[in-house]
Amino acid sequence: MMKKELKIKSNKTNQQKQKRTNPLANVFDDFIDFCQSKSLFMLHYCTGCGAIELPPAMTSRFDMERLGIQPMVTPRQADILLVTGYVSVKTLKRVILTYEQMQAPKYVIGICSCTVNGGMYWQSYATAKKLNEYMPVDVYIAGCMPRPEAVLEGLNRLKNNIKNDRKEQKGSAWKDYYKNYDYYLGNQQNLFGKEWQTPVDVIAEAKLYGLEGEGTYGENTKKLKMVQHPLLPQEMKL
Amino acid sequence: MRPENYQAVPLGDSNEYEIFIGPNHPGIEGNYALKLILDGDTVVKGTTDAGYLHRGFEKLMEGRLWIQNLAIVPRICVPDPAPMEVSYSLAVEEIMGIDAPIRAQWIRVLQLELSRIAAHLFTFGGHAATTGMYTPMYWGVADRDLVLDLFEDFTGGRVYSIYNIPGGVRRELPEGFLEKLSHLLDYLESRQNDYDNLLFTNQIFVQRAKGVGVLSKEDALEYGVTGPNLRACGLAFDVRRDDPYLIYDQLEFDIPTQQKGDAWSRILVRRDELFQSIHILRQVIAKLPSIKGPIRTAIPNPLSWNVPAGEAYARVESSKGELAYYVVSDGGDKPYRVHVRGPSSMHAVQTLEFLAKGARIEDVAQIMFSLDACPPEVDR
Ligand code: SF4
Repeated sequence: MMKKELKIKSNKTNQQKQKRTNPLANVFDDFIDFCQSKSLFMLHYCTGCGAIELPPAMTSRFDMERLGIQPMVTPRQADILLVTGYVSVKTLKRVILTYEQMQAPKYVIGICSCTVNGGMYWQSYATAKKLNEYMPVDVYIAGCMPRPEAVLEGLNRLKNNIKNDRKEQKGSAWKDYYKNYDYYLGNQQNLFGKEWQTPVDVIAEAKLYGLEGEGTYGENTKKLKMVQHPLLPQEMKL
Repeated sequence: MRPENYQAVPLGDSNEYEIFIGPNHPGIEGNYALKLILDGDTVVKGTTDAGYLHRGFEKLMEGRLWIQNLAIVPRICVPDPAPMEVSYSLAVEEIMGIDAPIRAQWIRVLQLELSRIAAHLFTFGGHAATTGMYTPMYWGVADRDLVLDLFEDFTGGRVYSIYNIPGGVRRELPEGFLEKLSHLLDYLESRQNDYDNLLFTNQIFVQRAKGVGVLSKEDALEYGVTGPNLRACGLAFDVRRDDPYLIYDQLEFDIPTQQKGDAWSRILVRRDELFQSIHILRQVIAKLPSIKGPIRTAIPNPLSWNVPAGEAYARVESSKGELAYYVVSDGGDKPYRVHVRGPSSMHAVQTLEFLAKGARIEDVAQIMFSLDACPPEVDR
């Protein structure tokens, strides 16, 4: 039942997209992007030491709220996921679960050099080195650790990307996760083992958003199908 | 969106149920998790789940030069990094058989006490936020930022300064620094009344914090509790006084204690300690200009620096408790083994599990913050 409904919906959205020749529709899209960039809820997952510069950035002195960005406690209602520092393998699983629970459009910011290339812990056995192998990242803020000003600058850049999304396609890294799910899943499986799977059915979501691409299916998603349906919560090995 | 393949877990007959707090949760300090078994809203059993921040520090340090390790040691405890550097430097100095010059020792004390102030201000805010009061958090973080500005001034880094090296400190204090510091101390003292009214004697907070997470002196000793948490149980133990390092034996300061051992006593101890640190810093400001001399004992070229074989255990009092480095050298250019004795692993694992038992669920976050544990230091 569910699946049929989804298909109908996705067909509709595809048709709508093709029909948009009315210039007013573009203005409307721009307006939506503008509004979106002015009101963002942020989920900060304190994965590492970079998190210590967030309280100053959020509170009185640097005051992130004047940019229209506020902390949010649940992933379901958040727009931005801040990954603040090195991600150990154990944490990375939770980061991926959190990311998949967020509603699209969703944005990821990698704070700290450790999310870029492993930073200080390049030779550590316990950390995952590059965050964008496991999920698409919109903005990186390098530095060990970046100052609150840098954090604000990064957020501003994300806002601009969102605002100009329709023209420049910069703020849509999240679509990449659906289009190239096979690649991301492959990297995740390499790190966590072949049985790795999350309770979120990413492929169904890709269909819902009309974002299936060639990279959505592949070698790695086939492995997924062998073990999926139905997925009991206990089977999830973290 | 509920995933298509979702299935509910059937519950058994028992009244007890299980919930997870963390690792990404506003009531948890950092990246840390708790698994609670509850009956109604009373915790039957709490199990901690650490390891989210594990980086394998002790192994990493074996693979780096003595001097390179200085860059990673502060990362072990993020809110209070200065004691890490000092402790590691003290241990290496002990193996090498050298002492830092007197002036460097005074500057180290200055750095340690400033770091303690910053860490305590941060804790006040965190603790208050778990009881639903958010204003102290805003105040605490803003005032801590003033301290960080001073850090930036004399070490070059806001949070991680990497200011110490074995043999001394890296840089002389900038001109006019002591006046700035003195202004900051005046300001912090002038805030005392505000903080008291807003937090420490505020009934909203006191009613929540009194009698929560009571730790007796015997239990505290059994669980290896140190630092402000131990002093809140009535035992005046402080490494600065009982096993003096640097020039702490030349300084005058009290060791604040409380008797009850609950969350409120712990935050009061921290409050008093903050003012003791200000008192210490005033003595440093008075004495430092009259102490002339070098700030560093020469060490060999750090890139080919072999520390003689030996081992050392150096402990300092951090804002969380007793912190120690055990360093073994086999005469090579890298440490043979480094062990970190952090205070937080005792506080955040056994003690938290012990205190969570029988507590109400809304107090669990407060107990954790009142113990002031530092998750990166638990996992290392
Ligand atoms: S880049 Fe530096 S501050 Fe950031 S998480 Fe890594 S070690 Fe910590």
